Amino acid sequence: MKRGYVYTFLFMVAITAVLVFALAAAYEGFKPAITANKDLQEQRAVLYALNLDQNLSDEQVVQEYDSKVAPQPLNGLEEVNGLPILAHVEDGQPLAYAVPFEGSALWGSLRGYLGVTADLDQLTGLVFTYQNETPGLGGRIDEEWYKSQFRGLPIQEGGTIRYGGQPGYTLDAVTGATQTSQAVLRTLNKALENTVFAGEVE
Amino acid sequence: MAAEKLSANFKRNMFTENQVLRAILGICSSLAVTNTMRNSLVMGLGVAFVTGLSSLTLSAMREVIPHRIRMLVQTLVIAVYVILVDLLLQAYLPEVSKQLGPYVGLIITNCIIMGRAEAYAQSNPPIPAMFDGFFAGLGYAMILLMVSFIRELLGFGTLFGFQVIHTAPENLWTIMIMPPAAFFIIGSMIWFISARAARKAAAKAK
Repeated sequence: MKRGYVYTFLFMVAITAVLVFALAAAYEGFKPAITANKDLQEQRAVLYALNLDQNLSDEQVVQEYDSKVAPQPLNGLEEVNGLPILAHVEDGQPLAYAVPFEGSALWGSLRGYLGVTADLDQLTGLVFTYQNETPGLGGRIDEEWYKSQFRGLPIQEGGTIRYGGQPGYTLDAVTGATQTSQAVLRTLNKALENTVFAGEVE
Repeated sequence: MAAEKLSANFKRNMFTENQVLRAILGICSSLAVTNTMRNSLVMGLGVAFVTGLSSLTLSAMREVIPHRIRMLVQTLVIAVYVILVDLLLQAYLPEVSKQLGPYVGLIITNCIIMGRAEAYAQSNPPIPAMFDGFFAGLGYAMILLMVSFIRELLGFGTLFGFQVIHTAPENLWTIMIMPPAAFFIIGSMIWFISARAARKAAAKAK
């Protein structure tokens, strides 16, 4: 059926309005659930970086986080890129720090937390809260085998983390994702230099 | 047009007119996501879901959509469903959403969805159109799983993330998890299917 321009134009305006309105309504409806999930993921990530996450349920994550994690300045720095530096605090003493980091990888930015012991000689864990790497290739940096390699990894001031067999540790990159793997280390080494060991430099 | 039986529709979309192997649609995502079976499965289900729903909606509106802007409307409807799927995953399956992240948005660019809207939904009633879209998505999912079975097994030695081949990493074929592998696996499949169809056609002609 042939229809005039007016009908076509009005139809487009009407259908767009209806669909956009429906989507906006859906977004508003889902927003509380989505925000709650995001907060929970962030808390779980911090616990993971501090090596406190042992297959906790959602409720346990909130409980653990509230009872053990608190903002704690490190080298006089309170926050990195707007996110507070957090610590595993027991009896008022920090046992480990979760340092937020941000960098750029192959396709997009990379955000997460780097866990460091209070005497700054070991990593307690590494976690990513945002990455946009190719799933199945660079995206595999988010898999347990990769992340768990960083637990207990020795660090020292002025030293850099490298792949391969190193004195005191072995670190594997992700096969088929050299650029992403290198970007992770670049970001981590920057976080070590600029945040973890920042106090000594000044 | 004579109404097509549901079983015939299923067979057509899964085998004889499989969208990936016969219509060569949805190739870009087939190349990208098929290095692990888990990604392939979720991507396949996502596409089946969106194709089914958008075909249903577009078919229901087929009488009122002005012909010359039908593609604009198709894109709009498909986009709405993809965003809905993304929101639903974020709200109720945050783990899946995290893993699939960039792929959900990519469903929008899958040519199969618009292909079914153009080829079927705009000239058939809503319910058959919905099944047609859903089956086309399943046919796509099936091919993805076949390709990823080969790639994940030979490239990582795993299936759905479970270790199947126990061997040193250097014995695995890294090429399988890189994009080129998908090119020659899907290429071989298309070759096989086309050769078979050509033989059948030749036998009929005699």
